[in-house]
Amino acid sequence: MLKIIIPSLMLLPLTWLSSNKNVWINVTAHSFLINTLAMATLWQMNETGMGLSQTFYIDPLSSSLIMLVIWLLPLMLLASQNHIKKETDYNKKLYISMLIILQTLLIPTFSANELMLFYILFEATLIPTLVIITRWGNQTERLSAGLYFLFYTLVGSIPLLIALISINSSLGSLNTLLLTLSNYMLNQSWSNHILWLACMMAFMIKMPLYGVHLWLPKAHVEAPIAGSMILAAILLKLGGYGMMRLSVILDPLTKSMAYPFIMLSLWGMIMTSSICLRQTDLKSLIAYSSVSHMALVIAAIMIQTPWSFMGASALMIAHGLTSSLLFCLANTNYERIHSRTMIMARGLQTAFPLMALFWFLGSLTNLALPPSINLIGELLISISLFSWSNFTILLVGTNILITALYSLYMLITTQRGTLTPHMINLQPSHTRELTLMMLHITPLSLLMINPKFIMGNTL
Amino acid sequence: MAAWRLSLCARSLSAIRGLQTNHLRWKSSSSRAVIARSSVKRKEQREPTEGWMEDPDPKDENVYLKNSNFHGYDDDPVIDFWNMQVVFFFGFSIVLVFGTTFMAYIPDYGMVQWARQEAEMLVKHREASGLPIMESNRFDPRKIQLPEDD
Repeated sequence: MLKIIIPSLMLLPLTWLSSNKNVWINVTAHSFLINTLAMATLWQMNETGMGLSQTFYIDPLSSSLIMLVIWLLPLMLLASQNHIKKETDYNKKLYISMLIILQTLLIPTFSANELMLFYILFEATLIPTLVIITRWGNQTERLSAGLYFLFYTLVGSIPLLIALISINSSLGSLNTLLLTLSNYMLNQSWSNHILWLACMMAFMIKMPLYGVHLWLPKAHVEAPIAGSMILAAILLKLGGYGMMRLSVILDPLTKSMAYPFIMLSLWGMIMTSSICLRQTDLKSLIAYSSVSHMALVIAAIMIQTPWSFMGASALMIAHGLTSSLLFCLANTNYERIHSRTMIMARGLQTAFPLMALFWFLGSLTNLALPPSINLIGELLISISLFSWSNFTILLVGTNILITALYSLYMLITTQRGTLTPHMINLQPSHTRELTLMMLHITPLSLLMINPKFIMGNTL
Repeated sequence: MAAWRLSLCARSLSAIRGLQTNHLRWKSSSSRAVIARSSVKRKEQREPTEGWMEDPDPKDENVYLKNSNFHGYDDDPVIDFWNMQVVFFFGFSIVLVFGTTFMAYIPDYGMVQWARQEAEMLVKHREASGLPIMESNRFDPRKIQLPEDD
């Protein structure tokens, strides 16, 4: 594990000590090399995972998420190179350092053996993200967005800290492996109900669950492109990952406590999908689409069946790549027309045919077209939800329909039709932008062929 | 709609009768139809022709004018070219190609094939010895210590 964390940490001296003209080349090249090292974690030999040391443990669930984190760093660097050009060299290096610190904190978060270490790193990832949103966002609303983001998450996390300390004192250890072997039964009592809520609310807010999702549209829209990418692709999945890890100690209370949250997720996914149909802001549409997809993941984790966990893991990875791709595409639009309104630049297929291919593929994977991995995730979740309760098929089916509607709405509004006549300064697509999209699409397409790596630990 | 038609009729009629003080925009040669200017006093409000949001940003310049091989990375053509090469080499040729090969040739991911072979061996062995294929008790019941009924 150190062979991944130490090089990631060493990217910081690389940033600060590189000459100003070579910074981007150096950091991008080395972050790709770290990817090759990290591929070894994907070789999961058995169902118990790789116990690497006393602090780090990677099981099939963590390995796909860690790969996503490490894959995303060079992509974030590629995406930010244009809008950061106008800043001073010091600010450029500071921005790159924030991204590197975020990755260095996220890798141990997903591989932490102890729940307390996981919690500390989970909280620590808030700080670089807050700095990225509030310092490098584009509009004045970024300050309120940062506040919403920070305080929504903190309100959920403080009870989680107290709950973890209490469980530590009653069980003696918070080791994830030991906890699976422990006999800790949560009986039905008021204090256990509050303990369950305390453990789960932080992750529900992070996912986000429909009722507490208000921070997400603000944070995603106001963040710069790298911030949006890392938020949508990884930081949301921290919630899902945390819920999956904590569900081993929260049995059997989950069976009764989960109902309101399953209800909120199922209803929320339809509501947020419908809100997507009414959005004028492109980034806001993609942000609400994230809420909708993650609501499926929450519902799947709450019902705790093997298939639903497989579907949740697959959907987390698939949505990470797809959402990041859509944000990058929206950013290519924003850099040209300096506006996030969808109808400002329509008919872009005529102007940017290759980028239109990536818009097309991104929208198709967003609406979970077979045989993409998004479909595998959504299908497994729908089937397991149906077996949990027959009625859910109506809600999930409606959501799949509305997801298709807004994905196609976004595609048709931006790509099809006649080119808006006032857009006379659209520069052709840069190699960098097309490379970025290709680097998103290639893992998505390759995983279609061999999805066993993203199916999580119940495969 | 009806009010507009009525005003149109009134204007045309008064124009034909020569009662309009403002000039006619158009007079038909075949009939008595005329189009006259509206007599409602309206403030001349024309929106300013500059300062629209859709207008090209004066700070935006066409980067391809300075460097026709611009790849999107840097204004210096040498750095731009190197950056493009580095991203393609490390990103595609090393990570995607070697990574995909690695993942494709991982032997027996999750020990699924091993589990199947082991199960077949056990079944063959059990059927040959006449034992049942699987006992219904996962754990030995003699080893389970139950607490007393309190």
